[in-house]
Amino acid sequence: MTVQNLMEQQVPHPFAQQAGRENRRDRAFHGFTMGSAILVLVILGGVALSIAVGAWPALRAFGPAFLTTEVWNPVTDQFGALAPIYGTLVTSIFAMAFALPVGFGIAVFLTELCPAPLRRPIGIAIELLAGIPSIIYGIWGLFVLAPFLQRTVQPFLIDTVGQVPVIGALFQGPPYGIGVLTAGLILGIMVLPFIAAITRDVFETVPPLLRESAYGLGCTTWEVVWNVVFPYTRVGVVGGAMLALGRALGETMAVTFVIGNAHRISTSLMAPGTTISSAIANEFTEATGTLYTSSLVGLGLVLFLLTFSVLALAKAMLLRLDRKAGK
Amino acid sequence: MTMRPHASVSLRQQNPYDGQDVPKVEVRNLNFYYGGFHALHDVSLPLHDRQVTAFIGASGSGKSTLLRVLNRMYDLYPHQRAEGEVLVDGQNILDPKQDLNLLRARIGMVFQKPTPFPMSIYDNIAFGVRLYEKLSRAEMDERVEKSLRRAALWDEVKDKLRQSGLSLSGGQQQRLCIARAIAVQPTILLLDEPASALDPISTAKVEELIDELRADYTIAIVTHNMQQAARVSSWTAFLHLGTLIEFGRTDALFTNPQNPKTEEYVTGRFG
Amino acid sequence: MNNGFYRRRKLVNRLALTLSMAAAGIGLLFLLLVLSTLVVRGLSGLTLDLVTRMTPPPGSEGGGLLNPIMGSILMTGIAMLLGTPVGILAGTWLAEYGRAGKLAGTIRFINDILLSAPSIIIGLFIYELMVLRMGHFSAWAGAVALAVIVVPVVVRTTEDMLRLVPDSLREAAAALGAARWRVITMVSYRAARTGLVTGALLAFARISGETAPLLFTALNNQFWSTNLNAPMANLPVTIFQFALSPYERWQALAWSGALLITVTILAVNIVARSLSRNKGNRT
Repeated sequence: MTVQNLMEQQVPHPFAQQAGRENRRDRAFHGFTMGSAILVLVILGGVALSIAVGAWPALRAFGPAFLTTEVWNPVTDQFGALAPIYGTLVTSIFAMAFALPVGFGIAVFLTELCPAPLRRPIGIAIELLAGIPSIIYGIWGLFVLAPFLQRTVQPFLIDTVGQVPVIGALFQGPPYGIGVLTAGLILGIMVLPFIAAITRDVFETVPPLLRESAYGLGCTTWEVVWNVVFPYTRVGVVGGAMLALGRALGETMAVTFVIGNAHRISTSLMAPGTTISSAIANEFTEATGTLYTSSLVGLGLVLFLLTFSVLALAKAMLLRLDRKAGK
Repeated sequence: MTMRPHASVSLRQQNPYDGQDVPKVEVRNLNFYYGGFHALHDVSLPLHDRQVTAFIGASGSGKSTLLRVLNRMYDLYPHQRAEGEVLVDGQNILDPKQDLNLLRARIGMVFQKPTPFPMSIYDNIAFGVRLYEKLSRAEMDERVEKSLRRAALWDEVKDKLRQSGLSLSGGQQQRLCIARAIAVQPTILLLDEPASALDPISTAKVEELIDELRADYTIAIVTHNMQQAARVSSWTAFLHLGTLIEFGRTDALFTNPQNPKTEEYVTGRFG
Repeated sequence: MNNGFYRRRKLVNRLALTLSMAAAGIGLLFLLLVLSTLVVRGLSGLTLDLVTRMTPPPGSEGGGLLNPIMGSILMTGIAMLLGTPVGILAGTWLAEYGRAGKLAGTIRFINDILLSAPSIIIGLFIYELMVLRMGHFSAWAGAVALAVIVVPVVVRTTEDMLRLVPDSLREAAAALGAARWRVITMVSYRAARTGLVTGALLAFARISGETAPLLFTALNNQFWSTNLNAPMANLPVTIFQFALSPYERWQALAWSGALLITVTILAVNIVARSLSRNKGNRT
């Protein structure tokens, strides 16, 4: 008996060879997938590194003053990032000021008011619009929105609000059509479907039971939204808004068409300006000289850091919401 | 191994292996941990060759955990580990050098819910066979047919072998999974509450099937249904909170339990 | 008094809801305006010429968008071939191996950042990485830049879809003695098949309109070129240049090109959507 047992153990299992092969393939597959996953980290690291390297000549030449100088003069090789940073922030803030309330409105409309048969089609339409590339919004801004603003809205603003002391300064000068105001508006229109879609998704994480019990207490629709839906989804809504802000900050094509590409900071919102991304898009291929190119990459570095922090913060907030929803 | 003709195994008393208790699997001092949670305490028991052993106990008793140690299914997940020995044909399968895929090819498993793969009925059966054997078309056809027949499913599906396994009813899906497991020609079958998601008629069919399979396979079955344990098994292990309270012949354990806890469980839920 | 309070609450409710409805109206109106202009200005140019003739020289009539269309198809195709496998493998690791681990969490986080990172930054990255090294703009650089955008999209959808595959299916395959890679490729992938296709389609839709990453990688080309080591014409950059040009014919072509891209993207999105919806109905 024992001898027989021993014999059995000596003879390899008939599948042993195949099993060994499978194990080697298994390790290879695991390695491939893990390598690909790590490639994601490498890509982001590569982005950061290559941009930092490309920006180095400009950073060395100008130091921290790069961030606080408005001059952008390729002739004298003097470059400062203040005007594009300002333009990026102002257009993005303007865009959010337009898109946030309107996007919330759409989300409230879709979750609370919309007749059921329309809910899906409108929701899908908005999601589809969020997938339309920004160049489409840009070209529309250039050919439709800018002339319209130039002919009607801007003269009106100059004649009315422009006469008011202090804030009137924001609406001075000739109506160019293109400029910071137009860029901000087109940017707002572009992020609008994104904000609406993500806000609606967040609103839908509210447990129906919670909503129903509030209605059961005799709350009006608005009271339910204000006292139940908003507080419950606050973190998610803010996270979604930050995600949209991250998009707006880095958006290139929608802005480049209508910003006017002028490296200066004007108090008037109707004057041409520039943003980081549109400066890069407009000037990069034409830039001559190391310092010019490097300064443009330096702008890219500023944009990268800016969007990275905004997006990281947004992600962290949305993660918190996911945990709350028990996902 | 030779196939026994149908009639001779339809009654338990006639099973030639009852009474000849050769252990096929021996669990010795098994401890199991989910991370920091100690789920099995010093469990020792045999599974006798070509007999059915039932694991019973309340949920959380560790009966499924014990079953999942026998083919090291727990190894798929991090932070789960087993200590002690599990001897299959005298070899300790808890040995880190044990080839897991090879082990699992020798030990079939059927789960609580039917798990047909998203492929045709034929491919569901052939899947496991193709992993280790290079069969000709005719040989594969024959293996598929034999397995489906063995699982008492052949007559129901022989005309639609190319249809998706998902198109079958729940009971048929479960028998498909049994056919899939035996197609690989294992010697041991682990059944994890195989009938708990099925209607009574399908359950009866699956139980009948188990009764037929035990002539050729060493079977361990986890069940929360004590009538089922009494109907299909020769041996029963009663677990409670991760400890093996009592192990013995099924009829003895149910009629004359030695431990008061077993008695409580058996009488509380039985009959 | 109680009544008055209630009336006030109702008034506030009506006011707020009217505002939200108005917001929805304004928003949808703008989006409708964009689309209708696109159709009105672009439709007349959607002729056979558009896809069979080359871009016209400045100031001249006629011509089409053949070379940019072909260039876009070529670069998008290469980008998909490069980016999709990497994305699927990385997503596979996150869903099948990494799961709740620390490394997986980090990669997931970074991937989500990459997903929304400004595409012009990707352009700069590839410029520094490839264009500077090679000394010239090239279709390869454009394709790689697009591939970098494909990867995070596919990673995300792949992981999401694989996570929907129940572990019981994986266990069932493993119980037959299947090695892990077989479980994944023969069972998990099969179960998540439509989801994986959806992810690839979404990635395709995403890159087919991307302009910024191509501006200084593939650049553009007025002429027919299939040389992957040279600048290559592409639809988005052509639209950009033509729209900003003073020539009416070019502007008209820009509108038609924009309509073409939008219709393509909408169609792909709708297909992807119906695929995943059918899947949802079946299970």
